[in-house]
Amino acid sequence: MTRGTAAAPGGRRVDSFTHPAFFYHGEAGFLAGVGAFVRGGVENGEPVLVGVPERRERLLRDALGALAREVTWFAPGPSGANPGRALSAFREFVDRYPTRRPRVVGEPVWPGRDAEEVREAMRHEALINLALAGSAACVLCPYDTSSVPTAVLADARRAHPTVLEGREHRPSPWYTGRREPDAPLAEPPAGAISLPYDEEGLGSVRAVAERWAREVGLVGERRTDLVLAIAEATTNSVRHGGGAGVLRLWVEGSRVRAETRDAGRLADPLAGSNRPDPFSASGGRGLWMINRLCDLVQMRSLPDGLVIRMTMALEPPGVPPPPRRG
Amino acid sequence: MTRTAVAGPGGARPRGTHLSAVFSDDAARDAHVVDFLRPAFERGERMEYFTEDTPADTVLRVLEEHGLDASGALDRGQLAVVTARDAYLSEGPFDPDRMVEQWHRAVREAERAGFGGLRAIGEMSWYDRGLPGAERLLEYELRIHREVFARLPSLAALCLYDRRLMTDSDVALLDGIHPEHQRLGKEDLPRPTLRVTSLVDRPGIALCGEVNHAVRHVVAGAAAALARPGGEVVELDLSELEHIDLDGTVRLVTAATREPGRRLVVVDPPPSLLRLLDIFPELNAALEVVSR
Repeated sequence: MTRGTAAAPGGRRVDSFTHPAFFYHGEAGFLAGVGAFVRGGVENGEPVLVGVPERRERLLRDALGALAREVTWFAPGPSGANPGRALSAFREFVDRYPTRRPRVVGEPVWPGRDAEEVREAMRHEALINLALAGSAACVLCPYDTSSVPTAVLADARRAHPTVLEGREHRPSPWYTGRREPDAPLAEPPAGAISLPYDEEGLGSVRAVAERWAREVGLVGERRTDLVLAIAEATTNSVRHGGGAGVLRLWVEGSRVRAETRDAGRLADPLAGSNRPDPFSASGGRGLWMINRLCDLVQMRSLPDGLVIRMTMALEPPGVPPPPRRG
Repeated sequence: MTRTAVAGPGGARPRGTHLSAVFSDDAARDAHVVDFLRPAFERGERMEYFTEDTPADTVLRVLEEHGLDASGALDRGQLAVVTARDAYLSEGPFDPDRMVEQWHRAVREAERAGFGGLRAIGEMSWYDRGLPGAERLLEYELRIHREVFARLPSLAALCLYDRRLMTDSDVALLDGIHPEHQRLGKEDLPRPTLRVTSLVDRPGIALCGEVNHAVRHVVAGAAAALARPGGEVVELDLSELEHIDLDGTVRLVTAATREPGRRLVVVDPPPSLLRLLDIFPELNAALEVVSR
């Protein structure tokens, strides 16, 4: 897609997209670096979006005082941000200001995120480079060296073209620009329900999945969300994935999983990461909805087809965050 | 709409004038045809029979065998037996607008010729034979309740669905459109994935079952009916709908609110629709959700 770039003096457009990693130690380090980055953006009159863990957000709001009202806070919801949803929110925010230099803070890894959430977050770090290339945005990704595992820090160095040190963006010598190839996900435990479907079976598979979600304890709107996501994923198989697929359903600890497999292929790694116009029937609406609705989405385009694994937490941890402000 | 209705035997509730009959053999078909046309012979109403699979001779013979003077009626200009294709498709693809006009004209002509009304029978088996415009039959069936039958009280029509010639799902879908499900006979049909009916006393339709990709042709017909101009408010009754997907929601909302100033009232929607409105507020622009 074409993307507006910031207007330089004299009307020239500049492509100045940057995506620095910021390695800090503990709360003081976070406040010093991220605080200065956010304050600098606000004081320059640039649009600023911040998506960080709830505790960090409170810390930053306190430190910014009145300036916090000038910031858009990305509220990921009670179960933590699905990285695909965060990426979409970043793109939407940046696209809203085609002639400005938007600043975005996205902290992808924090204590309590498990290995597969971290993996998904890191895969999306690499996608940010693709998604926002050509924009004038600066996306800062803070990593706490006191809590993030060493291997993840190494991945972060490879995924970011630059590193923020002090106020300087230095090129990262470790940056590879490569994305992790899609590999099969771990097989579900024995006893997973397996439901083949085709076009005629869309309704009955949806009904079975809904009953199952109710029985395993997914309640209210979260059950609606998973059922909508499953409906979009199965429809996607019918429309673009060879006309048929297999839905598997299982519970893993306190998580509910639903996975579709079909003969499809995902040519565009950014599919589903851009908020669609609901009135335009272009593809990508379904994938975006799935990202929007689920706590975690793992999409893998494999030689034998496309896998979309959707996860919902049974009991969302923590209390819902306050409504978005600023 | 107000209409003087003739109470059936024993003071049963009044029968509608847009009926359907579902059957699987000739005897049942003949019984429906004879029952429906006998009052026309008795009251001096004009009759039109639109065939698709039954030869005209057979129709006449059946009526004669049941003591009805079909050949006399033919001679008097009281009865016509023509092919549905000649009647509906002679001027191009099947076109609901033209069909509506045709009904108004036919009733006018019947009254002008001194008949007390018009009774029509249509064999519907042409629906799934790929005739041009056949996909608009759904839209047509949804519209004629208000645009034809409510305005032409002297018209009655019977749609014939022969299960030997049509799939059960097509029969269930088309038969289900008839208002208040006024079906003759007792054949059991599978429940269609999505059933659509037009609302009886106000502009709008009701959906029952589920909206998904497999029934997009049904949604297209429903959307076309909702898009009809006229009236500031159109209603979509979803109280018996279990699930609707994004694509179906967008099609219906777009069609219903295409006319500037038109509002769509959505009654008792399923949770999936409320969630979609939450995620895509742009769908909400001319829409109001109510519960009853």
